[in-house]
Amino acid sequence: MSDTVISVEHLTKDYGHGRGVFDASLDIHKGEVFGYLGTNGSGKTTTIRHMMGFLKPNGGNVTVNGLNPWKNAPEVMKNVSYVPGEIAFPDLKTGTDFFKVQAQFLGVRDFSYMNHLIDILGLDPSANLKRMSKGMKQKTAIVAALMGNRDVLILDEPTTGLDPLMRDAFLELIREEKSKGRTVFMSSHIFEEIEEVCDRVAIINSGKIQRILNLSDFRHGSVRSFEIELSDKASAETFRKRLPQSHVEGKRVRFEALARDVDSAFKALEGLKVVSVSEKHPDLEDYFMETIQSNNSEEDSE
Amino acid sequence: MSEILVEHLTKDYGHGRGVFDVNIGIDKGECYGFLGPNGAGKTTTIRHLMGFSKPQEGHTSILGKDSWKHSARLQNTVGYLPGEVTLPTGLSGSAFLRMTEQMRGVKDKEYLQMLLDKFKLDPNIGIKQMSLGVKRKLAVVTAFMHDPDILVLDEPTSGLDPVMQKTFISFIKEEKQRGKTIFLSSHIFHEVDAVCDRIAIIRDGKIVSEFKSEELKQKHDRIYRVSFSDLESYEAFVKKPFTFTSKNVNKLRARVQIPAAQVGELISSLKGFHIADFVEIPFTLEDYFMGFYDTGHHFEEVKK
Repeated sequence: MSDTVISVEHLTKDYGHGRGVFDASLDIHKGEVFGYLGTNGSGKTTTIRHMMGFLKPNGGNVTVNGLNPWKNAPEVMKNVSYVPGEIAFPDLKTGTDFFKVQAQFLGVRDFSYMNHLIDILGLDPSANLKRMSKGMKQKTAIVAALMGNRDVLILDEPTTGLDPLMRDAFLELIREEKSKGRTVFMSSHIFEEIEEVCDRVAIINSGKIQRILNLSDFRHGSVRSFEIELSDKASAETFRKRLPQSHVEGKRVRFEALARDVDSAFKALEGLKVVSVSEKHPDLEDYFMETIQSNNSEEDSE
Repeated sequence: MSEILVEHLTKDYGHGRGVFDVNIGIDKGECYGFLGPNGAGKTTTIRHLMGFSKPQEGHTSILGKDSWKHSARLQNTVGYLPGEVTLPTGLSGSAFLRMTEQMRGVKDKEYLQMLLDKFKLDPNIGIKQMSLGVKRKLAVVTAFMHDPDILVLDEPTSGLDPVMQKTFISFIKEEKQRGKTIFLSSHIFHEVDAVCDRIAIIRDGKIVSEFKSEELKQKHDRIYRVSFSDLESYEAFVKKPFTFTSKNVNKLRARVQIPAAQVGELISSLKGFHIADFVEIPFTLEDYFMGFYDTGHHFEEVKK
């Protein structure tokens, strides 16, 4: 497709002992925020390192903006901002020193975007690089990478070590980038953040892509199960007459509805006195656990 | 007597960084949660407990022994999992485990094998070849291999995948059942929620709140996330006199937190609106504590 920014086709890298990536295919489109979920050692970082041209595939192809990162690394990097999963800083005194060197390296002349990032993440760049806490180091790495203001963002567990408030600030940054039409590929262990910002998510297990999920389908398609307690038995009966698929148990009614049908289900409550509402729905976490577990039990039985 | 004790601990790193007059007492068999934003002083407190830093004022002790004076002994008795792990890269995982075993004089090999199985760790590869998550698993196994009575854990599940996070939480619960005393610092509310008896919040180097987790769970507020199919409905809804914990006009949805007794009011206030979705968000510590996290700091810009 013409709007493909990152393409991974049948990528294989075999490290032996079942480790590596096997026949993985992904297509990330322009303007898309794409999430990458998987257990430790499942091949997320290996995939990302191929996108960055750090590794040469054993089989298959990876392109970024149509170029092969292994052969054209400098050309590819001109358009990519990269946050690595493990951070190593140069031997410099403060965050400010590091940002200046990094700006020179990336050819950043206008510091306003850099300072915008620093402000959003609440980072004190004057702090000593070696004495920074883990969270501060992660923020520093994010600023150092994103200051390049590039069109493609490749982020390997960018929120590791960030506190919840900073994670929210970071997600806000990702939304900003998306609204500028940028393409984002990010791996993560945190379901909420994938659910919050991603358009699609791929689940990888033991080096193989198990599922690619369209999150908007997922959000709208998932079933909500409600349990509503009404003031008396008569109200519960009234409700059941209005919504025949519901079950009555004393003053309680139980029913399931797709997100888009919640509106009509709630209309059936009109004029009735509600005491409590509880709701359960499958989320990305349930889905992930199910995928990983069914996949693992298949492997065990092989 | 408190097995883990922090009394009037102060360490001033300047620029408002550090810890200031921190007091903590953790009894035998208790699990104590330590929450706070990045840079609040969690790791600084823990490093004093382990005897890596000397207090400017106050003191810390574990099992009655002063941390700074008995630092070397603590390393071999306490189960300490650091927030940032540095492992020797020239060794294989198993060589590293054997080395640590000898250093601590560990006799019981079965316990180590149990840990390797539980955390699904294959140590027979070079540490250099391990991914970040696998290194974290190795650090977890190393911290617990000598079956210590005291566990000091600094963001233990950071970098672990969701399956391992669950495994870890159930492991901590088992250890608690076995009577271990646990100090757990974390950003992840649900893990603190799942295992801790008492919780403290640290912010800007000071403990701002401490409470029993049972007390919090008895507050029965409900949180719902309501999405609308048109802007009019959304706008009319967010003007209602409820407590909104978040609003998102782009997605036309808002989170509302209300006492259980007011759920009826919420439902009747939705009358006439076009609802696109309605979900209940389980009450978590996160909703309660986000307020403590916003420090409102602003720092100087980078100039050319």
